[in-house]
Amino acid sequence: MNALILAVLILMLGAGLCLLPLRNGLRAAMGLASQALATLVACSVIVPVLLGGAEIAWEMPWAYPIGELHFRLDALGAFFLSWSLPMTFLGSVYAVGYLRKYFDGPRHLGVHFALLNMVAVSFLLVYTGEHAVTFLFGWEIAALAAWLLVIWDYSNQKVRFAGFNYLVSTHIGLIFLVAAVMILYTRTGSWFLDDFGDWLRQNPGTLRNTVFLLLVTSFGLKSAFFPFHSWLPRAHAAAPAHVSALMSGVIHKAGLYALVRFLLLSGKPDEWMGWFLIAFSLVSALIGGLYTVGQRDLKRLLGYSSTENVGIAGIGFGIGCLGLSWDVPALVALGFGGGLLHVLNHAFFKCQLFYAAGCVYQVKHVVDLERLGGLFKPMPITALSFLIGGLAISGLPPFNGFASEFMIYAGLFGSHAGHPSVGIWATLSLGLVAAALAFVGAVSALSITRAFGVIFLGTARDSGLPEAQEANRWMLIPMGVHALGTVVLGVVPVLGFALVAGPTALLLHGMPDVVATDMLQATLATLTRIGAISAGLVLAVALVLWLRFGRGAAAVSCNATWGCGYEVPNTRMQYSGASFSTDFAERFRNILVLVKRRKAPVGYFPRDSYVITDCVDAVERRLYSVIGQGDDTASEISQKMQEDDPRFAFSLGLAALVLIAALVLLVEGALP
Amino acid sequence: MRLSLSLLHWLLVLGMPILLVGTINRTKSWWVGRRGPGLLQSAWDLWRLLGKQPVVSTTASPLFRAGAYVVLVGSLLAMSMIPLLGRFAPFQFAYDFVVVAYTLGLARILLMLSAMDVGSSFEGMGAAREAAFSTYAEPALFLLLGTASAATGLSSFADVIGALHGTVHFSLIVVPLVAALLILLQTDAARVPVDDPLTHLELTMIHEVMVLDHSGPELAAMQYAAALKMTLYAGLIAALVNPFDPLVSPLAAVLVSFGVMLTVAVVVGCIESLTARLPMRRVPAYVLLASAAALLSMAIVGFGVGAR
Repeated sequence: MNALILAVLILMLGAGLCLLPLRNGLRAAMGLASQALATLVACSVIVPVLLGGAEIAWEMPWAYPIGELHFRLDALGAFFLSWSLPMTFLGSVYAVGYLRKYFDGPRHLGVHFALLNMVAVSFLLVYTGEHAVTFLFGWEIAALAAWLLVIWDYSNQKVRFAGFNYLVSTHIGLIFLVAAVMILYTRTGSWFLDDFGDWLRQNPGTLRNTVFLLLVTSFGLKSAFFPFHSWLPRAHAAAPAHVSALMSGVIHKAGLYALVRFLLLSGKPDEWMGWFLIAFSLVSALIGGLYTVGQRDLKRLLGYSSTENVGIAGIGFGIGCLGLSWDVPALVALGFGGGLLHVLNHAFFKCQLFYAAGCVYQVKHVVDLERLGGLFKPMPITALSFLIGGLAISGLPPFNGFASEFMIYAGLFGSHAGHPSVGIWATLSLGLVAAALAFVGAVSALSITRAFGVIFLGTARDSGLPEAQEANRWMLIPMGVHALGTVVLGVVPVLGFALVAGPTALLLHGMPDVVATDMLQATLATLTRIGAISAGLVLAVALVLWLRFGRGAAAVSCNATWGCGYEVPNTRMQYSGASFSTDFAERFRNILVLVKRRKAPVGYFPRDSYVITDCVDAVERRLYSVIGQGDDTASEISQKMQEDDPRFAFSLGLAALVLIAALVLLVEGALP
Repeated sequence: MRLSLSLLHWLLVLGMPILLVGTINRTKSWWVGRRGPGLLQSAWDLWRLLGKQPVVSTTASPLFRAGAYVVLVGSLLAMSMIPLLGRFAPFQFAYDFVVVAYTLGLARILLMLSAMDVGSSFEGMGAAREAAFSTYAEPALFLLLGTASAATGLSSFADVIGALHGTVHFSLIVVPLVAALLILLQTDAARVPVDDPLTHLELTMIHEVMVLDHSGPELAAMQYAAALKMTLYAGLIAALVNPFDPLVSPLAAVLVSFGVMLTVAVVVGCIESLTARLPMRRVPAYVLLASAAALLSMAIVGFGVGAR
């Protein structure tokens, strides 16, 4: 039996065992054990494929009407599986710590762990499915499992709303995906992705463009690209920390996987597809980045930063696309390699940041920036982990985000290197994209400084909250593993590239072998240098710190913070999250809409007065208002019409038939 | 040759921060009719700080003291890739300017976090301003580099800046590019009209207010790093206008670069003496002028090459 089928069976068996009437602790243990075992079994096949082994394909007979299921594990699928499965396991370990106080309660925790197992099953189906139905099936399992995981705290109405919002969005995405698959099925008469690929390669034109747009919409909804992102901050704020982490870092990468898979299948893309991807992703990166600035809920902030980061990865894929259509192998290697590496890196640091947010929530029961503060001293491990993740997410050396962003920048600046097919305006446009990406980097540095500075530095703002202490080990260890990955992949980015090299080589397939090898070698050399610089930076800082502080404690006297002559400051006088972002956000009030509720002080001895500000999602508000207006208009029209008039109904039906016939004639030409 | 040029480069990197600050202060004194402090005064100030025992805020975490040295090391690392002498940098490779920008970004974020660490509203204010203004400044550098790399077809910092001389439209784009770099200098090195370190009124400062609670060697590290940033931009201006290739005629290149950097300092000093600091709400528009200038040069290159 194939090891991956075995892994699926183990996971499903584990999920079943989780549901047995046992103690909650035993159920969790079943879940963890089955996941660990399945991950090991799966990795025994994944790793060889990833490191240059032959692809594995297998078939399974299945009931009518599907007939036969085809699976294939190539380097691209292996790359995604190689980190998705272990990270899901780490997330499940974190879940044990996060949900520990429910273990002795009446609640059935087995369902939660069973769902985590099903998430892992969905990865195995999606990343190896060669049959469109298995692919869609895995896609749907992931969506439903994620939805059920999000509504863990279902008794809270807000959480249920967030869950439904997610469920509806993800199914709108599914409709687009099904539409694209239907088009491809009618053209090829086959359910296999390979046949789809053959048709796409041979038939560039309107229909292929339509399929491309449908798929980008669907995958954009899955990965929360702007403007399809509005479900994401809600879902991430509502879900338990490990679910937010897995959704943001791992599950929604399926959208990017599917995008790369489509590009791989469809051969040489048109130039406009590359530009479209770059523009679409850049808008996501910009708007996602801007939204992180205003948030006061830490998990919402991290959710928006996911939109920003999939945008950055998408820019990489766009460059790769341009490289494919211009026949410039360097751009293919840097674009797809950088984009995929960024996907991996983002999985590392985003889960880490969500885990840190979860640790804060566990002890403080809030993740509101304006009520926290001064957590560095009581929670040093969480704080350091958040700092490392934050620096990495801003793409700063010596952490892993820098390596992948460097590759994407190299792609943006490298278009001119002696390729006559690339015009000066294309080069300059990519330079503009680089400048916009630099802006995004600075914005994300701003919001990470704000989040870390307000939550972990200074002093506690709200004395009414519980005393802070470090979270339990079940939570610290997964976070630590992710932090370690962030640092190691930053200092030795070659390790990350070793995972990415396989899929990148697949995308370089159209190029001559020598060129492809050269390109991979050149990229490897670049990354080695980046790693050396990062390592040098770490060593130099360590050396200087040792010289300064290492040899015995340096003499220091302590005193209160300089208050500019003011003697009785209190903790509410610190700079808050809102005040930190105001300078910047004032310039972008069209996007960062500020909602203010206040009660002004009245009388000589005012008692109850307050100002509450929050930054709401303008796109989401606009979306709802448009839907609301559309609803109003529709009901207005329907009120005017007499619905029970049969003549009206028949004539509408006739008009619809004529329209369909006209469309068919238009697309297919005259009937024979 | 490369070795001796590298030595000269590092000599300039370490010495110019002192000399530039001295020159600016001298220029400002000259405008108000004072004799002013000696050119090496800031070196003595730093030396004095190094001998002092620091006072640390009780609120501060360990990050506070470590931060100053990350800022210093990051700035020095960035300086190793900056072409001060024209088309030459000791550490030069493809797309090294991305490393420069992001290393400076790391230094900046640690500076801001050190400021937030003491829980003072003044320092939080400085950090917020620094963060906001840097978002406006950051695209300008990349626009400038995008223009230069498109015009030259090269890819390392020293090459794209140093080889810009050979391009057709150099005489047209040099003015906007120098203007952009000068604005970036004023923004990043906290000079008038963006920031005035001498007012010592907490509400109006940006950089100085972030280091209010630093003292002793940590303050020295922060101040030296700030002066290094000024050297960085002055050096870029020098490399841009320097007509000599340091590998061909080293003496001329070094002398010209040195002279241009001092001239930049004099210009900065004159601007500080003759203009007032802008109101805080006008600063973003001023910083965005740098991006506008870089965009202008980008358009010139685009139309120029497109027309041929």
